Amino acid sequence: MDRESMITVENLTHVYPNGVEALCGVSLNVDRGEYLAIVGQNGSGKTTLAKHFNGLLRPTQGTIKVGGKDASKARVSELSRIIGYVFQNPDDMLFCNSVEEEIGFGPRMIGCSKDEIQRRVAETIQILGLESLQDQHPFALSLGDRQRLAVACALSMQPEVFVFDEPTTGQDYFGGQRIMEIIDRLHTSGKTIIIITHDMQMVAEHAQRVVVMSGGKIALDAPPAKAFTQIELLEKLSLRPPQITRFAFQMGWTDRAILNIREMCDVIRPQGSSPIAGNNGRGGNHG
Amino acid sequence: MPNIIEVKNLTYAYPRTDKPALKDISFQVPEGQFLAVIGPTGAGKSTLCYCFNGAVPRLFGGEMSGSVVVAGLDTYENEIPVMAQHVGLVVQNARNQLFNVNVQGEIAFGCENLGMPRQKILQNLHETLTFVGLQGYETRQPSALSGGQQQRVAIACVLAMEPDVLVLDEPTSELDPMGSEQVMDVINRLNRGLGKTVILVSHDTEFIAQYADRILVINDGMLILDGTPREVFSQAGLLASNRIRPPQVSQLSFELRQRGSPISDIPISIDEAVLLYKGLHHG
Amino acid sequence: MADVGYVQKDTFLHRLDARTKLVLMLAILLVVLVFTNPFYVLAILFLVLGAWALAKLPLNMVADIFKYFTGIAVIIFALQAFFYPGQTNLLRISNAIPAIGFSGYITVEGVMYGLALVLRLVVIMTVAPLLVMTTPMSDLMLALVKLKIPYRFAFILTTAMSLFPSIQNRAELIQQAQLCRGVGDFESGNFFIRLRASASILTPLILGAFRDSQILDVAMSSRAFGAPVQRTYLLESHFRRADYLFLAGCLLSLIVAIILRLAHFGVV
Repeated sequence: MDRESMITVENLTHVYPNGVEALCGVSLNVDRGEYLAIVGQNGSGKTTLAKHFNGLLRPTQGTIKVGGKDASKARVSELSRIIGYVFQNPDDMLFCNSVEEEIGFGPRMIGCSKDEIQRRVAETIQILGLESLQDQHPFALSLGDRQRLAVACALSMQPEVFVFDEPTTGQDYFGGQRIMEIIDRLHTSGKTIIIITHDMQMVAEHAQRVVVMSGGKIALDAPPAKAFTQIELLEKLSLRPPQITRFAFQMGWTDRAILNIREMCDVIRPQGSSPIAGNNGRGGNHG
Repeated sequence: MPNIIEVKNLTYAYPRTDKPALKDISFQVPEGQFLAVIGPTGAGKSTLCYCFNGAVPRLFGGEMSGSVVVAGLDTYENEIPVMAQHVGLVVQNARNQLFNVNVQGEIAFGCENLGMPRQKILQNLHETLTFVGLQGYETRQPSALSGGQQQRVAIACVLAMEPDVLVLDEPTSELDPMGSEQVMDVINRLNRGLGKTVILVSHDTEFIAQYADRILVINDGMLILDGTPREVFSQAGLLASNRIRPPQVSQLSFELRQRGSPISDIPISIDEAVLLYKGLHHG
Repeated sequence: MADVGYVQKDTFLHRLDARTKLVLMLAILLVVLVFTNPFYVLAILFLVLGAWALAKLPLNMVADIFKYFTGIAVIIFALQAFFYPGQTNLLRISNAIPAIGFSGYITVEGVMYGLALVLRLVVIMTVAPLLVMTTPMSDLMLALVKLKIPYRFAFILTTAMSLFPSIQNRAELIQQAQLCRGVGDFESGNFFIRLRASASILTPLILGAFRDSQILDVAMSSRAFGAPVQRTYLLESHFRRADYLFLAGCLLSLIVAIILRLAHFGVV
């Protein structure tokens, strides 16, 4: 498949009005169809970087191109047709009287025709399986459902790229899983996914590429299986790989990071009647 | 150890709802225990937290039956400020519980309300700030601090009022990894170092497995399970049906067991898992 | 949560007790109301600006205040100039229009009165920041309490002011979220679209503030707010010699101003 660049950031610097330099010369390329996680401590520049993708922030220096457009100049509403940004707290955006109306609000704002709005709302509801919520009041929904509705609002703008800011925060594991299933599905349908998160287990289980930020710079950019082997660097940045990954290291299997329980099971493979056949630790070389 | 908390047949429904948020919950907490409360979103964990100082039902209204007694004081008979001298409640979301102009004013606020003498306030201010590792932050604006620092200030605020029990409602759910780690360290020292009774609501089962003495599993307003981390995290079926994710090393053992490995003890920490699997290799 | 507007410096004005500064503010306001001659008011304005300089406060903020105020000032001045019932005609505009009370002339008294009114408002607007920017909110609250204002009231007043920045942050976040839904295009839309756009920001903001206030209520009660005991205070107010001298100076100036006024100085 040909690689097609969706986002190209070059030498991006952003200085806030109060003088804080949140980004210092970041360069990053994101291709169509990537599944990218941006991690790092608060203040490392993750959100500042992501808010440049759709023009919410403008570069102090450097260039940024999104879907071929110059994102340092294009209007937010124009960029929102390429980048769908899903904020952490759905309550910061929901205000309409029904789920349908809420989903149709964005398309209406960008001047879609009545038919087009209806078509988009129906399609979005179908893709996200929100049929049962269709006529409900957004405020009557559970947090998990409000979060799904927030995704729906971004989806109805028909963007190519989705940026999720902490999609699983404030949810229990299963609530988080449900959102992640939706995100995975969007990715399978060809969308480019960028997730800003602290949740390392989610990164390990879903993302295909991790960008670690620190002090306004990119400290690491690799697939999770590789990134999570950089124990020293991660420790220096106070980032902890998932427990299962750390367990594998403790067992001495360090050449490749184990990312989830399934992978681990394959490594410690039970053979016949012997309880656990790790063959003296060489199990790490499986797969 | 005498019980510092006694909850008996606690049932509560918020106003204008017919479904109770808590249903017939009973348990006791001995002094100095580190008790974790886990359960899925909407299970009633925050509501339970509000019961310990009487915010439920005093501030929220609604119907409550049964009783909650902390340090010998029944929340029915004692106003929240009285309960506050025995129970420190750190509510979810640090941002909303800091409302003073600087850290010093924030921490002094509770002590001043209780009418502590000025010298005592100064001493408590100094001690609690040192305890949470924020010496020198006295005149900083709470809103200008990081999430983790805000949460530690929030803990210092209730700690300065010298309660016997600290109740913390998801103190790390919105923090970055570094902030979480520092807050969890403070919580652990509250219990191990100062001997405070700690009630912690959290989804961080890895931390709970390591430090809590006991776990209450709550779902749909009911007390589902009450036991040590080992007892609770060994119950694969029950955890799954109550939408709780145990530590990954425990999950791994469930999975291997399902694939036919005769694993009898479920490890709940990395160290235990390493011991178990290394032992199995040699055994 | 933040200390709104407070500019941390170590100056004479910063060191004064908040109560002294409150009295100073009141004295200036009284004096300004006493005189109707714009030149007297102008002199007081220079006094206030002098105090700004003394307190090392950013003078460009004064420029900002002027900038925002220009439009209103012009309207106020024009109204006075046209409609003040003066004796000395300055400029003939048209025939008299009795229906709206216009004599047809702009009078000297009208111009003077209009000028004085505008300058008074400028003084009021520059005096208030002088207090807020040199006094931490916690000191201000303490001063109010010491002046026998009930603690609850003083607390609500100062907390409301200090919660403002966090509301502002939230409003900004909501605005960004709605921008992403195309709200940025609203200037091109019709009236109803624009109405919808502003609802999209106000609704989440108000609902959020409502939710936050519930949690705030729990957090405050949990910290024994309203406990039925005599409240103590960590901060102490220091009424120093400078404060007494300053207060005496204020009173003296006030008396002099009133005497001058009774002797018909500073009146148009």
